[in-house]
Amino acid sequence: MSAAETAAAVRAGRRSAKDVAEAALADIAARDGAFNCFTAVTAERARAEAAAVDAAVSAGRDPGPLAGVPVAVKNLFDVEGLATLAGSKIERDKSPAARDAFLLRRLRAAGAVLLGALNMDEYAYGFTTENHHYGPVRNPHDTGRIAGGSSGGSAAAVAAGLAPLALGSDTNGSIRVPASLCGVFGLKPTYGRLSRGGAYLFAASFDHVGPFARDAADLALAYDAAQGADPDDPAQQWREAAPVSPLLDAGIAGLRIAVADGHFARNGHAEAFAAVAIAARALGAAARVSVPEAARGRAAAFLITMAEGANLHLPDLRERPDDFDPMTRDRFLAGALLPASWLVQAQRVRAAYRARVLPLFDEWDLLLTPATPYVAPRIGQDTVEVDGEAVPVRPNLGVYTQPISCIGLPAVAVPLADPGAAGAPGGLPIGVQLIAAPWREDLLFRAARALERAGVAGSPTPPR
Amino acid sequence: MNDHTEFDAEGYARGTAALVGLALDPRHLPGITANLRLAARMAAAVQGLPLTPADEPAPIFVAGRDAPG
Repeated sequence: MSAAETAAAVRAGRRSAKDVAEAALADIAARDGAFNCFTAVTAERARAEAAAVDAAVSAGRDPGPLAGVPVAVKNLFDVEGLATLAGSKIERDKSPAARDAFLLRRLRAAGAVLLGALNMDEYAYGFTTENHHYGPVRNPHDTGRIAGGSSGGSAAAVAAGLAPLALGSDTNGSIRVPASLCGVFGLKPTYGRLSRGGAYLFAASFDHVGPFARDAADLALAYDAAQGADPDDPAQQWREAAPVSPLLDAGIAGLRIAVADGHFARNGHAEAFAAVAIAARALGAAARVSVPEAARGRAAAFLITMAEGANLHLPDLRERPDDFDPMTRDRFLAGALLPASWLVQAQRVRAAYRARVLPLFDEWDLLLTPATPYVAPRIGQDTVEVDGEAVPVRPNLGVYTQPISCIGLPAVAVPLADPGAAGAPGGLPIGVQLIAAPWREDLLFRAARALERAGVAGSPTPPR
Repeated sequence: MNDHTEFDAEGYARGTAALVGLALDPRHLPGITANLRLAARMAAAVQGLPLTPADEPAPIFVAGRDAPG
């Protein structure tokens, strides 16, 4: 059942939030062992929150647009009473969070019921969620494969149907990559749109937060509920809320949509480009444009991320390096050693790259690219052949997302309803990425919905 | 494009680590040097874009702003 259907049934008194929560908790208990999405299940809290929603309905009050909808959050979001793990062992011993993260407070205020916290790459530094401390998240479409990362638990929980909505974070692609590999919708809004208050930072220059869902309408519900000004996030732009749900079915007539060429037409496998071709046909996007300096933008994001992440963790890197996940530790240690001139150059290149890209949106409303270069690799896989060369499989997963988050453009990963139509190996999920000008999330949603209505986009059902 | 990707990554790591108070465990060095070499390739890419003195870094400091109403 979708989030929208659940909320409608609960608000109308046709179904109790308690029943919804109990069913979700039982489902997690029965099935999450196969996927390893949850690192904490907040069962008692879920029951109490569901009871409060039911009490509101009984009293004739409206619990909100997410009435009784079960949600789960990447474990870098503060959850009152839980230590905020951010995928680490180190944070396990820290004090429990005194209150929920801003985004979770917003969803709760809309009537949502928290099911628990979700697995991720340690400190969000990865694209695979092969977490050394908590085990890998397994892709619901093939449990021998990764779910993507770093919000792997979020994407897999939604794909598996353990929760209709989840929250994640995206610094270089950590929402869009797992969304593509698990076959769900994932939104990375404009940098500064949604508050990161109470979310554990990774690389503040690029840290974004956003929702996952199995259809565009649910994604819009979560995004609309999450909007709001938060004085605790210094990077948030305090703009008026801009709800997208009312605009979902506005269609794409008149929208100028182009397929990104160059960097976005290399570095991947055939299924990634076939997925773009299928979406382009449905959107009437015949033109191809070059995103200038995309590879340099990616390189700038790579260096800034490395340095900012390393600096954040320098005290622990000095005192207890062996308590880090080996996968992230050596990246952080190297990041602590980068020459300052590389960093300043990268921040200047970032601004120059933005200045070259933004004029594209004078001519185009939306750009279309692959979301990931290939379908989900196997857990433990180190290399993959791309353009005739063996490349490291993990960093290359962000090859199309990293140049976009580098300059804060809003983007949505949209899954193909039938990945087999794109020749995806084993029919595994794959998505496309839609990109808009800053603050034009509304256009992303209209196009995602149009693809859904055309039968091109949709969340494929995993095998049971 | 400047190419500084051929360098003594291990020597660089050892020397710089002392400056930032990191005592590198020899077991971690292969991973650190591999990541430094990858970073050097990325640095070569960003150093290859011609910039002018007017090209400011992306982060802009804000002295203060009104809280949301």
